[in-house]
Amino acid sequence: MSSEPNGPDEFDRPRADADATPCGYTEYDTKERTTEEVPATGEGADGLEREVWAALYEVEDPEMPVSVVDLGLIYGLELDDGAATIDMTLTYSGCPAREIILEDVEQAAESVDGVDEAEVRLVWAPDWSLDLVTEQGKEALREFGISVER
Amino acid sequence: MATSRSDLGAPDELSDRERRAVEAQLFRLADDEYVQAERYTFWQVRAPTLESDLAVANNAQDELGHARLWYDAIQQLGYSEESLLWESEPDDFQHSTLVELPFSEGEWGDAVLRGYLYDVAEEIRLAALEESTYREIRERTSRIQGEEDYHVEHAENWLRRMADDEEASRRVQAALDRLYPYALTLFEPVSDGQGDGDNGDVEQDIVDLGIRDATLAEMREEWETRTTAFLTDLGFEVPADAEPVTPTGRDNEHTQHWHDLHAEMVSSYRNLGRHEATTLMDDE
Repeated sequence: MSSEPNGPDEFDRPRADADATPCGYTEYDTKERTTEEVPATGEGADGLEREVWAALYEVEDPEMPVSVVDLGLIYGLELDDGAATIDMTLTYSGCPAREIILEDVEQAAESVDGVDEAEVRLVWAPDWSLDLVTEQGKEALREFGISVER
Repeated sequence: MATSRSDLGAPDELSDRERRAVEAQLFRLADDEYVQAERYTFWQVRAPTLESDLAVANNAQDELGHARLWYDAIQQLGYSEESLLWESEPDDFQHSTLVELPFSEGEWGDAVLRGYLYDVAEEIRLAALEESTYREIRERTSRIQGEEDYHVEHAENWLRRMADDEEASRRVQAALDRLYPYALTLFEPVSDGQGDGDNGDVEQDIVDLGIRDATLAEMREEWETRTTAFLTDLGFEVPADAEPVTPTGRDNEHTQHWHDLHAEMVSSYRNLGRHEATTLMDDE
């Protein structure tokens, strides 16, 4: 290096544009929601329900090492005498992994002692967006290399 | 726009009249998206830039995803994927003939303009479905709108660039003259399945029951105003007094191009002797 390094006060480090988003066509805004009911994450669940949530946490998106629960895709879980019904959405309507994810979720729920059958109901409202991802999920996405605002 | 009409309820709660109107709305949504996606695939390996290859492929995937959402809603009414697609006949479909026309190699202007004409109509239609009294339509509409946002923008950007080039704008103008009467079929009434040639009731029911809150004529007028303003501003000449061509597609009658595409579409299923649509995770 031929020139002296700048001192810390002089060094004009480039700063990210506060309004910049990584992709102009991806919305990173937090939407106003009329309901606070989604996603469901199993917080506060106990007994058999807690065990089912633990099993669902083990299911990862086939394309990213992040739990479908942390992605905010699970909208509800109902248990009725050994039958589990899971309301779930997907990140994208054209998701080619749809059958794989749904099957994984049903199998995970059925792997729990006390659950005889599980059914996933696909729902499309309210819209899924990045702000439904849990803090833990955002951390996992960042580790995977996806830019998510803090 | 808010409607005081009551919610139609779950798929199994519909009266015969409601069900007929819901189906008439759903079939055109599903078939339009599905066939538009099938034709887009032609350009995936022929678009003028790598970025356009990706954009077209992505549009096709969006439309296929939306078609799947609409076919799912139709399946809630008792239909199967097999009967809807793989074991169907060409004249089961009610998509507009605009989306079934084949592309010619080199006619990128056709692809861009067709996307523009279609996606503006799609935006107008989805806006009229936002407050639908049928929940399965309402909820899907909101989801799909989020994914359609950039389709029109993509087409408009290309049209602006092409308008600046003499050869390109000549080709776009030729495509406009050719495609406009086909695009108008998007706003034609569907056959109501009664086979009596009287299709008026089901279209009126769609609006009276609050399934969609704009008539076909209102949507056509909005579409003509919007597309004419944009295209005229770029120096293109929109055909005056154009009328929809026949067959319209909506009446289950199609051009030979659709019969050919349909045969391709079902060929693997038929060649393999399939009787059901299998999925990746089938256990048996």
